[in-house]
Order: sequence, then structure tokens, then C-alpha cells
Amino acid sequence: MAKDLKFLVKDLKAETIRAAQTACVEIMNGLVKAGPGYSGEFSSAWYALPRGDSPGGPRSRSGLYKYDLRNVPAARFETSGMWYTIVNGAPHADVAMDLTPYVYEEFSGDAIKKQTRGFRLKNATRGDLSGTSGPNTRTAPEDWWPTYNVGGALSKDLARGFRTGFGKATGFS
Amino acid sequence: MNYQAIRAAYEAPIATACAALSPAVPVFFDNLAASTLTSTSEYVMVNITFGLTTEVALKADFDYVRGAIICRIHTPKGKGSVRNQTIVAAITGAFQTLNATPRAAGAGVYARVNQIDGPTFDAPVDLPHYIGRFSCGFIASVYP
Repeated sequence: MAKDLKFLVKDLKAETIRAAQTACVEIMNGLVKAGPGYSGEFSSAWYALPRGDSPGGPRSRSGLYKYDLRNVPAARFETSGMWYTIVNGAPHADVAMDLTPYVYEEFSGDAIKKQTRGFRLKNATRGDLSGTSGPNTRTAPEDWWPTYNVGGALSKDLARGFRTGFGKATGFS
Repeated sequence: MNYQAIRAAYEAPIATACAALSPAVPVFFDNLAASTLTSTSEYVMVNITFGLTTEVALKADFDYVRGAIICRIHTPKGKGSVRNQTIVAAITGAFQTLNATPRAAGAGVYARVNQIDGPTFDAPVDLPHYIGRFSCGFIASVYP
């Protein structure tokens, strides 16, 4: 049955919020796929927040984290005219994103993503390995973060999220 | 798909800009061993990565490739930020020139960069360098 047009604005607002939530979930899952994974801590620390807000810490240390709508509360998007950011709250996020030189961190156990080996020189970033064998490892290529952002994957995930989120805005006459 | 030609379209202007500085600053591109990496002298590391490389465009007579360029400028620590920023400005100036260059007729790579994110600067406690970093997306159309 067709809906009355008087509900259009209210429904559109709800659908816009839903689309923003879904897009954030798609992007955060895309970041998990693109980024490194040893314990899963880094993968579980993505947050969609109003710009300037501080993220929380990692949610889990047991495998790659899978985001869903519960990680992005609708209430977060109800203020209009706000910029939102997706940020990582893990303590070593800058290193994991190759933004600062690598700092050694003790890790025991098996990495949850496939590791590649090589030599990491002093001064180099996490992903900057030379050669195909060596004492150092990485589980994501160097500069995976800017590559995800501007290499097309972000816009693809964003578009898919919005398409999915807006899928229910139908039925008006 | 000619990834090497795309790399060259971006690497050549960077190398030229750094060579034109006084003194010239060495540039190391992906997978080239840099013997100076642990020294305190200045150098630039450039990483070119590919994102979506098989995207469908409106026309089918060229390849449309997206990716990212990440530049890390290493200058000696404790000697101010001027030199680092001079090198940043030389490279970003080369990108602006690239963006202002019209596409040449015929086969070749039509290279463009998007907005530049940064530079940000960092002086890690236990390392000898002051590091400037910026990144930008690129779009290259390859005409056969």
C-alpha cells in the first residue's frame, strides 16, 4: 500500500541516517580487510564519530572483527550539519597505518592474517620490508591506508553502503 | 595495462623536482634499496600504490587506473623545518605542473593527482631524522 506523502520528510531522514550507518559499517569492514591483522586488536578499534570526538579502545583481541549496525548507533547521526570521521583507537594505530616509523611490539601466537617476511630497516615504517625472507613480518602492504582512502576502495564501499541503506526508501505515491 | 608507464608518469616529475633543488636530494622509489636509509643525511622515499585498476569507464578505449602516492621526506633532526618544507613544496609544485599539463595527442599516460593530504611532520625520539609526510590519490588514463 502506498504511503502518504506527509511521511516523506520523516522517512527520508530515517533512511539517510540508516544509509550513513550502513556506509560506515561497509567502510569499517573494508578497512579490516585492507589493514593488518595480528591479534585482531587493531581491526576491532574502528569508530565512526563526529569530528573531534575521541575513539574508544579495541573491542576484541580474538580474530578479525566484523562490524554491524550495532557498532554505529543511529543516535550518532541525528545532529545535522556535522562532519563525521572514521578513526582507529588502537594504541599503535599510527604505526599500523604506516603514519610513523615502526616501533617494536611484543606479539606471541599466530597472526590472523597471512604474513610476508623481509627486512625492516631502522627508520622504516611497518609495511616497508625489503626482500622476501628475513626476521620481520607484515600482514598488510605498505601504505594500505592511503591506498584504501584514495585508490577507489573507500568510494566503492561508501557507495555500496548508501545503496543498501537507502534500499527501503520506497512506497511513496 | 601498463603499470610501469603509469609509475614513470609520476616518478619522473618527482625525480626532476628533487634533482633541481640545491643541493639535490636523493629520491628512492619502491623496491630500490636505499643505502642511506640509516644515515642522517636527507632523502625522499616515494611509494606508489595501485587501488582500483580495472574500473569501467564511460568509454572503453583507454584504461582508467586509481592509486595513491605517498612521499616521506627525511631531513636531519634538530635543524629546523625549512629544508623539509622546501622539498615538500618542490614535489607538490611538480604535481601542480602535472595537473596543468594538457593531454598529449595519441598514445600515452594522462596523469593527474587529486588533493594532497598533509604534509604532517614528525621527529621520532630514537631516530636521526625529521620526517615530513604527505599523500595524494592519482588518476591515470592510459591511451593505447
